[in-house]
Amino acid sequence: MTSLLPNARHIARREYRQRTRSRTFVIVSAFLAVIGLGIALFPVVGRLIAGDQTTTIAIYSVDAELTSSTALSMAHLLNTGAEAQYKVEAADDAASAATDVRSGKIDGLLRVTRGADGELAFDVLTDAGPNDQRLFAVRQAVVQVNIADRLQRAGVDPAQAGQIFAETAWKVTPLDPNAHRLEENFGANYVLAYALVILTFMAVITYGQWVATSVAEEKSSRVMELLITAATPRQLLAGKVIGNGAAGLTQYAVVVVAALAGLLLQGLVAQYLLGDKAGAPLEDVNLWVFAPFGVFFIGGFALYALLYAGLGSMASRTEDVQQVTGPMIFIGMAGYFAAFTAINIPEAGWVKLVSLIPFFSPYMLPMRMLISTVAPWEWVVGAALMVIFLAGALWLAARVYSAGVLLYGQRASLRSVWRAVRVDR
Amino acid sequence: MTIGSPGDPDPFATLVPMSLVIDGITKRFGPVTALDGVSLSVEPGRIFGLLGANGAGKTTCMRIVLDILRADAGTVTWEGQANTDLPRRTWGYLPEERGLYLRMTVIDVLTFFASLYGVEPAAATAEVEDWLQRFRIPDYRDRKVEELSKGNQQKIQFIAAIIHDPAVLIMDEPFSGLDPVNVQLLKEAFVEMRDRGKTLIFSTHQMETAEELCESIAIIDRGRVVVSGAVRDVKHAMGRQVVRLATGGDGNGAEWLDGMDGISITARREDFVELRVPAGTDPELILRAAIDRGERVTRFEIGEPSLEEIFIEHVGRPAAAEEERHLAATSRDAPRADER
Repeated sequence: MTSLLPNARHIARREYRQRTRSRTFVIVSAFLAVIGLGIALFPVVGRLIAGDQTTTIAIYSVDAELTSSTALSMAHLLNTGAEAQYKVEAADDAASAATDVRSGKIDGLLRVTRGADGELAFDVLTDAGPNDQRLFAVRQAVVQVNIADRLQRAGVDPAQAGQIFAETAWKVTPLDPNAHRLEENFGANYVLAYALVILTFMAVITYGQWVATSVAEEKSSRVMELLITAATPRQLLAGKVIGNGAAGLTQYAVVVVAALAGLLLQGLVAQYLLGDKAGAPLEDVNLWVFAPFGVFFIGGFALYALLYAGLGSMASRTEDVQQVTGPMIFIGMAGYFAAFTAINIPEAGWVKLVSLIPFFSPYMLPMRMLISTVAPWEWVVGAALMVIFLAGALWLAARVYSAGVLLYGQRASLRSVWRAVRVDR
Repeated sequence: MTIGSPGDPDPFATLVPMSLVIDGITKRFGPVTALDGVSLSVEPGRIFGLLGANGAGKTTCMRIVLDILRADAGTVTWEGQANTDLPRRTWGYLPEERGLYLRMTVIDVLTFFASLYGVEPAAATAEVEDWLQRFRIPDYRDRKVEELSKGNQQKIQFIAAIIHDPAVLIMDEPFSGLDPVNVQLLKEAFVEMRDRGKTLIFSTHQMETAEELCESIAIIDRGRVVVSGAVRDVKHAMGRQVVRLATGGDGNGAEWLDGMDGISITARREDFVELRVPAGTDPELILRAAIDRGERVTRFEIGEPSLEEIFIEHVGRPAAAEEERHLAATSRDAPRADER
């Protein structure tokens, strides 16, 4: 048997050069880099676009003193956080304040009236919907204002009243700590897990397709016959997978560098545009995930790409590539959806099992590592299975390839692939 | 050179151990038998023609020699070694369907193919420049292949086949689609390669080209070798001669010849008639008969049958006519599985 190198290297180098020098590659890479940068800067840009986030409420009552005391209490009760989210102002004239609400200048008008029995009544004029969080906050504040007013009328000492409004001790003990992880802890690890699953899926589908298309192009341009005389199918397959994989990684590197630059510059951009600082975005992230992710990402890509190349050799024209590679897209999608389902239940038995299967492990294992734990033996078994599947895929793809590349004009079907595998050229 | 039937041991193979020996090759594609017990041997340092109509099995035969197809039965050896054990650089191949990387430059494509055979870039570049010079296109070195005319692309294809200095050069219809000037350049390149000690095998359905270049030939029809050997021997084995006769007398009708036993007129041209004379008949009888009749003989020539005639004799129809019929038949029922 002839060795894979150096011909695989020559083929990979040609493949890489042709791919990265194409105009499409340059344009798409630049476009993706802009998107990567945009996503990294999204929090800052989002705040810039959303603009002023404070809610303005006007308070009015016929009693000027009641107006100012209510406004003071409301401003205090509504603004519990560090930043002032609510602006409460006393209105002199109900009609003009109502006009301001209608024109959108202010968000609401709260009218306070004291009835004959001394009880306060509140009505709000606003465009906010019944489920608007701000309306709930205003109502909660109003209830406290009302209770304080009742206590005052009942002659309760203000110090005592202060005690009544002191904070309540409150704690929730979850029945199953994992059940609502996602809602409770939507942290950076989750974001990263999602990002890795999407990156893997895109690599497998997009770059796998590159390999298949490149094989079909060589077949339709008939350069194939010269190639298989000069090199073995295994050398050709390995070279194609390595060359296109390297081109794909180059594109990813461009995007990742742009995104990292965006994250690092986030604070600076925020300061420049908004006059404040954003928090460090990569805090709390388990960066060790990139070591196993890199290994399984490359293994998974090679596995998919080899089979893509084999199937690509069954297509006579580049237009047929989509059709013959259908099964690979199907498997890739299955892994993608399995990972997205599993992200909420990382401890489930089927998730652990599926995450060892080579077609799915590149999605599942890094994801599980980020939001749960992966036992050392699982890494070992996952990697061992990956190596075995890679060897099998190389054999199978070479078999399909050496038969497929000389097969012209036939409509490619799974049956013809099967025949190609069984029959010796 | 031998003609063999399937399974027959080739008695000459042992006598010429340095040659390319194809022994009893059979290849089926589903229900179609593309090759049926083909046996040939080609002496090294010679130009060998594989003659046959389209679909006769020439391409399949070449692909099996190159080990890109495997035969169902039979063996191929070069210098006594099985083709499956030989390094790939033994062979140079010019496929019938031309194909290069169109968007690469001439020099890049050729050094790429050279690198696959282990040729260093510097050596490959020098060789490419030498051949571009020989083909009178030195300026195309850095042009993209797609910018070249079909004829020039074919020259590049030829260089791609020989860039690694193969011992055996296998070419499938190398002259098809070339204009006369380029045909001449390619013929010169053939002779050049032969003089360098290379063995050249090419397929064609143009008998004149084979006649001009080949020392030995094989005619393949429907997957079988119908005749093979040195051109001289093949012609001799036909067992008859061709006589071309021109007389200055009463026109060239020469109807009197029709009365002669065993002699048939194969062509009546403007200034001569061509006769077929069976073996055992002395052609001089014709000359004597003409003189006896008082004809003024201006031309009398005894020749061997042309390869075209030999082809028709063995296959039953001319190669070119078969070609046209084949094209007409296949253009109707597309899509089809290509001839392999």
